[in-house]
Amino acid sequence: MIKTLRRAIFALSLAGITAAVLRIKGKGGVPPQQGGWREITPPK
Amino acid sequence: MNVAIVGQGVVGARAAQVLRDIDITCNVVKDADHTGSCDVAILARGGEQHDDAETLIGRGISVVTTADEPDEIEELIELDEDARKEGVALVVGATAVPGLSGLLARHLAAQFDSADEIHVAVHGTGGPACARRHHKTLRGFATGLQDGEWIKRPAGSGRELCWFPEPIGARDCYRADLAEPMLLHRVFPEVQRISARRAATRRDRLTATLPMLFPPHAEGGIGGVRVEVRGVRDGARTVEVLGVAERLATVAGVVSAVFAVSLGQGLIKQDGVIIAGMEALPTSTLVRMVMDSGIKIHAFTGITD
Repeated sequence: MIKTLRRAIFALSLAGITAAVLRIKGKGGVPPQQGGWREITPPK
Repeated sequence: MNVAIVGQGVVGARAAQVLRDIDITCNVVKDADHTGSCDVAILARGGEQHDDAETLIGRGISVVTTADEPDEIEELIELDEDARKEGVALVVGATAVPGLSGLLARHLAAQFDSADEIHVAVHGTGGPACARRHHKTLRGFATGLQDGEWIKRPAGSGRELCWFPEPIGARDCYRADLAEPMLLHRVFPEVQRISARRAATRRDRLTATLPMLFPPHAEGGIGGVRVEVRGVRDGARTVEVLGVAERLATVAGVVSAVFAVSLGQGLIKQDGVIIAGMEALPTSTLVRMVMDSGIKIHAFTGITD
């Protein structure tokens, strides 16, 4: 029981550290700033 | 030119507004027996339209229908011979989807060397009859064309995230019991893949098999139509997307009015069944008339860096 609990705490800690590293050091980039929809002109 | 509008709901009211804006006389009546003498009749009443169409054709009046249920559309198409005998036209499905979607698909297909896929998505509802129909389309089966073969899948399946013009944005769309694949296949027999989806929420899908829990609103909010055509242009595979964000009752009113005007003024000369997107139709002119009536059409330009 204690062993399982320790493993769970270890796994959660590892996940937390990994997430923190990615959050601080990760480069998510900038979302697209252009594009999307453009109103068309009536066809001739 | 004199147009009779059968139906006093939101679609009929919007069609009447479009016609009055261009100084065309129109008479809004409750049923087909009260149309009197007219050049064209728009059937804008929710529910069954076949009998009214048959009656009006028998009186030598061209008819524009706003039906969108697959079985009813098939019944209306069967009136082709009657309409030809009388020398009148019968426009089947002059709404947002079908209707505007067919016009946009033809407009886009003209930009390709060969178009082989058409995917349509719709968001929102018009009047109460349209809302009830929306509820019904998410149960039963949805048809689609895949590699030239008809497929039947449960309605409410096949989730796809579709982007509509703002303010709608991205919506989860699902297969639905829509007439669009069948109609598009008639006007684009060479296209190998055709699908039609409609936006729905989890609640819509969960309650689709139940009766409507609440009476529908008098009119839905801003709706959307999205038409995607894929094919080959200059030897390269290309995708083009057009979309509209507008109240669907307004779109249906405009499209039906545009077809009525085109028939009345002789812009469309053919008799028998007419489906939006037919090659013989002056699609560019019809699209321009739709835009002149206040519908803004947007092209998806893609994401650029």
